[in-house]
Amino acid sequence: MILLKIKKGFDIKIEGSPLPDLLELDKPHFVASLPERIPFIKPKLAVEKGEKVKIGSTLFIDKRNPGIKFLSPGCGQIEKIGFGARRAIKEIVIRLDNTEEYVEFDVAKFSGDRDFNRDDVVKSMMEGGIWPFIRELPFRDIAAPGYMPYALIASLDNKEPFLPDPRVYLKGETGLFKKGMSILKKLAKNVYVHSSKDFINTNVEGIPITHKFSGDYPADDPGVLMHYIKNNPSENRTWYISGQDVINLGSFFSTGRYPVARTVVLAGILAAKRGHFKTRIGVPIKHIIGGRIKDGKKARIISGGIFSGYATSEESCIGFYETSLTLLPEGGESEAFGFLRAGFDRPSYSKTFLSCFNRRPLAADCSLHGDERACVNCGSCAKVCPVDILPQFAFKSIAAADVEEALSHGILDCVECGLCSYVCTSKIDLCDFIKNAKRVYYKDKA
Amino acid sequence: MRNGYITRIRPDMLFGKIKETFEKNRKHFQSDGRLKSLYPLFEAFETFFFTPENVTKEGPHIRDGIDLKRFMSFVIIALLPSFLFGIYNAGYQSNFISGLPVNFPAAFSKGLIIVMPIVFVSYSVGFFWEILFASIRKHKISEGFLVTGILFPMTLPPTIPLWQVALGISFGVVIGKEVFGGTGRNILNPALTGRAFLFFAYPAKMSGDAVWTVIEKVKDRSVDIVSGATPLAVSALAGINENIEILLEHKGYGLLRLFTGTYPGCIGETSAMLCIAGALFLIFTGIASYRIIIGGILGVLSTGFLLNMFAGDASAAWLSLNPFYHLVMGGFAFGISFMATDPVSAPGMEKVKWIYGFAIGMLTVLIRVFNPAYSEGVMMAILFMNLFSPLLDYIEIKLRLKKRIPNV
Repeated sequence: MILLKIKKGFDIKIEGSPLPDLLELDKPHFVASLPERIPFIKPKLAVEKGEKVKIGSTLFIDKRNPGIKFLSPGCGQIEKIGFGARRAIKEIVIRLDNTEEYVEFDVAKFSGDRDFNRDDVVKSMMEGGIWPFIRELPFRDIAAPGYMPYALIASLDNKEPFLPDPRVYLKGETGLFKKGMSILKKLAKNVYVHSSKDFINTNVEGIPITHKFSGDYPADDPGVLMHYIKNNPSENRTWYISGQDVINLGSFFSTGRYPVARTVVLAGILAAKRGHFKTRIGVPIKHIIGGRIKDGKKARIISGGIFSGYATSEESCIGFYETSLTLLPEGGESEAFGFLRAGFDRPSYSKTFLSCFNRRPLAADCSLHGDERACVNCGSCAKVCPVDILPQFAFKSIAAADVEEALSHGILDCVECGLCSYVCTSKIDLCDFIKNAKRVYYKDKA
Repeated sequence: MRNGYITRIRPDMLFGKIKETFEKNRKHFQSDGRLKSLYPLFEAFETFFFTPENVTKEGPHIRDGIDLKRFMSFVIIALLPSFLFGIYNAGYQSNFISGLPVNFPAAFSKGLIIVMPIVFVSYSVGFFWEILFASIRKHKISEGFLVTGILFPMTLPPTIPLWQVALGISFGVVIGKEVFGGTGRNILNPALTGRAFLFFAYPAKMSGDAVWTVIEKVKDRSVDIVSGATPLAVSALAGINENIEILLEHKGYGLLRLFTGTYPGCIGETSAMLCIAGALFLIFTGIASYRIIIGGILGVLSTGFLLNMFAGDASAAWLSLNPFYHLVMGGFAFGISFMATDPVSAPGMEKVKWIYGFAIGMLTVLIRVFNPAYSEGVMMAILFMNLFSPLLDYIEIKLRLKKRIPNV
């Protein structure tokens, strides 16, 4: 096992973390698939409204690689296909039947101790709709099946507020996790399992952890691990998969059925009951929140982590990759003489608030706490960047459309953690600059 | 009171009233109002009283509590001790030399009379330019000027004519900052740019040979001009073979007095002690870089000691001066704490901040020692290194990026 000390990042202590108990939710009335929340894909529908689908029927494919399929997480009837701007497919809603019928996939050759080759694994995974669980750095697109990466990383942690605790979702599932790992071993030259020190100390049985780290958010990101361990540029195209999806992978190869289980976290100070919920992929957000929301302030519903997630509504569903719902106050109340407040309970990376003496988790809302200004080169962003980018210089080269310079700053190493935007004194959305530049570069390259 | 009630204005009521006033007048400044071109002014005032109501859109949904207003306000807080002492000292020196009472109330009120007009002119003229540029460019007014507006008068002698203050701050704001695009885009420290302009345009007032104490004509008392000379001016007069320390001691400028700051000089610069207090505050809150400050002190001390080694019997008196005098005399402590650490004009990279600070200290001493025309070096040293900070950044970034495993 390799020990890593990740010095940068930021341990943000926010009130509203979920309890470590797991509650099983009933079956929802409908589930949905949200193609617009899967980055880069060009979805092409394989079903029509009113059609009957089973769990594992193909809903849509990725036009860029028709072998990559996205399957139905429910058995029932296609109730609605929602389109957004320019007829982008927003959501495919499936009204669930009382029965649970599955499309059966043949996984017999992967059972027991039998040996199998990589091509068969890839083929089965693509057929079984679980290939998109594996994603590729640096752009975080779905992995390119033909490529043999140097490493594949399974990350087992929840440094970002608030993601499911691996100890919760691994409980009783370690067998499936190990099964998943045995499959993943075929896909890359090295397979790493990456977790924090605190997590190891609690000892989840039999999980073969290869790298353990000490450090703050986003030390658990596979991009941060690679930044610390990579030796040459060929390792840039590393693959990664989340811990929950390793379990799903194991489940698929044990049962031959498309796995739909998901452990989703409900957290944030406006959540009346915070905890882990065992439910399924594509579950309606209303089904999770139910009555578990505090009245009063307007809540922002964030799907997928406070830093990297997106704001959504109660009417929507949980996306393919998201495992978390956080309810935060929308904020935006103006404060008198805000710039002179002592701020004992105002979270800040800077030491300009008395909260730097306050060790307790603090309440946060979605206020910007200021207005955008020109960069004054205070350097906070470079101090938190976990992969040693200099955001304050990189964003200027991006703004000046100097792609070469921006790339030499290592913007492709960016793990999109959002800490630079968080700490910025001038309220510049630095992370957005870098994310967009990466996206534009990727699309140009393709 | 009669009924046993104490009538108080509760703060939230007061803020409610202020808020109402803003809401009532907002329409005049919006796109179809009469005063729409002055919207930046309205916005600046409103956000001074109330934090803006905007929220995050995407990306990280929460943001840090700090903003530029707080960042800059903290510099002003750090400046306050030096500023208040500067007021007192200006009044004290003036009353002392004019033979008036030097007790605290008398000195402080005299100081207010001397200093406040200078500060007022600096802020009002500077704000005029800020508002003009912000209105034309349709920018928000940046908080950087809050600091410039008070830093600039603190670097001036109390005897400065007000029209020169107006001219200096205009030059500093317009040429030092706005022509580059405003706060954050300037390459030189605007306050020092303004001061340098005055120094070269009106050397008679600014070069330090002049008496920097406001003298009131008092009947029947001949004023001893020399007793109003600044320590640097005294030192500059030292001939070969003379010892500056003894010369200063003779004038009453012992090391302790130079440290505490009750001697004639620019308004804010005299007390090294309070500059250290301000610097510590800025370092602790993470606003100023300790690398620059410590680098600067090391630069002064090492250059000073090095020059001491070259000092012989027939060499200039400056060469043999104890380097600690350089730290406490003149504007070095003020410059290195508040001017050199301006993040916009200093390098952004951490390692070269040491070089930047060190070079400022070194140049300050070299200018003081080898430049016979003007014995204060810190202003030129900082401006000179401001010019080099992009280059220093460039070098460190290149070296650092070379170590990165390329990812394209």
